[in-house]
Amino acid sequence: MADPARREVVITGAGVVNAAVVGDSSALGAWLSRPRAAARSGARPAVRLPEATLAGLIDPGEGRRLSRVCQLGIAAARLAVTESGVDPARGLGLVVGTELGDFTSTIAFADGYLARGAGGLSPLLFPNTVMNTMVATSAIAVGARELALTLNVPTVAGELAVARAAAAIASGRADAVLAGGVDELDPLVTEMLEALGDEGLRGEGATFLVLEAAASARARGAAILGRIAGAAWRSLPARPWGVGRRATSTAIAAAVTRAGETPGWLYVSASGDTARDAWEVRVLSAALGGDLPRTASLVPFVGHHAGLGVLHVAAAAWTSRSGVLVAGEGGTPARVAGGGLVHGLARGGGHVAVCVSAANHSS
Amino acid sequence: MRRVVVTGLGVVSPFGPGVKAYWAGLAAGSCAIRPLTLIDTGSFRCRIGAEVPEIPPRSPRRSRADRLALAAAAEALDDAGLGPAERRGAALVVGAVGGGMMEAEGWYWARARGERPPGWAAALRAILPTAHAEALGHRLRLGGPRHTVVTACSSGAVALAEAAELIADGVVDVALAGGVDAMTRLCFMGFNALKLLDPQPCRPFDRDRHGMSIGEGAAFVVLESAEHARARGAAPHAELAGHGMTTDAYHVTAPHPEGEGMARAMTAALAAARVSPATVAYVNAHGTATPQNDRIEARAIARVFGEGRVLVSSSKSMIGHTMAAAGSLEAVATILALAHQTVPPTANLTTPDPEVGFDCVPIAAREAALEYAVSNSFGFGGQNVTLLFHRG
Repeated sequence: MADPARREVVITGAGVVNAAVVGDSSALGAWLSRPRAAARSGARPAVRLPEATLAGLIDPGEGRRLSRVCQLGIAAARLAVTESGVDPARGLGLVVGTELGDFTSTIAFADGYLARGAGGLSPLLFPNTVMNTMVATSAIAVGARELALTLNVPTVAGELAVARAAAAIASGRADAVLAGGVDELDPLVTEMLEALGDEGLRGEGATFLVLEAAASARARGAAILGRIAGAAWRSLPARPWGVGRRATSTAIAAAVTRAGETPGWLYVSASGDTARDAWEVRVLSAALGGDLPRTASLVPFVGHHAGLGVLHVAAAAWTSRSGVLVAGEGGTPARVAGGGLVHGLARGGGHVAVCVSAANHSS
Repeated sequence: MRRVVVTGLGVVSPFGPGVKAYWAGLAAGSCAIRPLTLIDTGSFRCRIGAEVPEIPPRSPRRSRADRLALAAAAEALDDAGLGPAERRGAALVVGAVGGGMMEAEGWYWARARGERPPGWAAALRAILPTAHAEALGHRLRLGGPRHTVVTACSSGAVALAEAAELIADGVVDVALAGGVDAMTRLCFMGFNALKLLDPQPCRPFDRDRHGMSIGEGAAFVVLESAEHARARGAAPHAELAGHGMTTDAYHVTAPHPEGEGMARAMTAALAAARVSPATVAYVNAHGTATPQNDRIEARAIARVFGEGRVLVSSSKSMIGHTMAAAGSLEAVATILALAHQTVPPTANLTTPDPEVGFDCVPIAAREAALEYAVSNSFGFGGQNVTLLFHRG
């Protein structure tokens, strides 16, 4: 049974900016509805957003002043707030997950010193070396003045941002929180990650969702895209950067208990890292039984980045409304019913479970 | 919501390892800001900072920041007397900014010279802020919810607020929370580029202040539900009675000129604790010693507590601005002030700024009757946090 003391959390707006889809929940739904080609571009497996796409979402002043990853963030944040219709002046929090922050600016700042000494240091670049720069610029862009957090963790940063934002609303500390994930590809970072053995398809982009207390959303007549029926984050034992052995998940149990319903379908982090992916399957099997329900992942289409976890939550809301679970390249979409689970598991043990269901769905 | 108490303290500060050394330094009004040895400061106007003099032995697998964090966290867990079973379910929240950047900078500087130094993989693996939480979680066997928060200079305080919410909401009974940052070239060079560093040790709230001094360190606390602490016979150092977190949404580096977001954070902390401003006798200020920030913070404190009504001091005058560690180091200073009924001073404060309408406890610590005390932390991007502690 769901805990009656906790408030119901709903999604009222989405903003997606990545190489495959740009827009609000309608654009996402249209993209999810049609057949998609898996992405492989360039010499390395990476999915990069065309510059022209981003330029079209940002005013020229922001384009000159802000770093690219900040531009990704504010573009998606604005799309989500606009679709939601939520009034930031009535109180809006902001929780953003990122794996890498603004490494491009950090590298440029260091390069300035290495090339020209102290005189080469840019005071404009320095604030971007701190990972909360995307939160700072997004908060200014949309007028979010309450709780504002940047969460850093590999693989599950987006899922964690959604879970943390949902907790703020469920507990009554906030009525509306913008939850997002954002990362960009940088050639040096890609080189570093490859040198460390990072596998899989990397991508970039931002996805933001407006989460609200259901009562507040209904009172203002907002269209509800889906419910965060339960969410939890925990950790599983593992060495830093390592894959663990233990498969007993308290995160899934906590989220499912709160949702009051066993998930009928899954969106999983499936990052393409073979050992990590196998661990995730073991964890899911232990929690949900040997035969997992139908499973999907959008990694092959947009690449792995912090926006992906939030994109999975947005896609799960669409699945819960449409009853369609997306297929991999060349596959056939499946008909599903009821609520589902968005699952993320990182090397090092970061672990998040988010149960998503339709607005009118009761467990 | 459940009451949250502090049952363990751990510190590695520029006064050295341990809570005892930290309080001794603070209470004596000592200034640990000295010429920097970890960074080449040759081409910079400011050449000083507050380095940690001794930390556990060097390990090729651990960054300096990880070693600072591990030492402080282990002291906090020992102080709380937590057993393995309690640790297994404990949450871990880490406030971080620089991660293992110091070692990664070494790699990048060498790379620019065309070298590939040994230990590069370990340096890169530890580069991100999240690396500390992974190292602490693994080494200390903490198996509950774990996350890393980055809110610039308020990160350490936000970590405590985040952990308190997990306990208050019943997600966990026990949490380890704190912040850490080691000295990095990027941080030192960046604040130099912004012309925010004083070539002399910083002088918060002084009329002639010229900016901050940077520092490094780590502080962790064990937070626990009051019932859980009582049940296992733990004696709390203090109660974390309330907190407030707000954002200015104004500028990426400058605070709101009226301290609007700062005042909202303080007001929110009081509201969460359901106490009136009159119950608070001491504010451990963010107090960076930049001309603008100190004046704006004083204005915000006056708006919430009344001009001149509380004692105000800045620990940064003694240990520098320790970045992500600042919020948790200053939270521990505030807890110790309550425990000792003594307000640590603002060192180097010789000519009080007439625009700061508070007694900022210059030079020497002062005994005071303290029931509630506040710790303020404000970060780049207008990230404001206030922690409100009640005497244990």
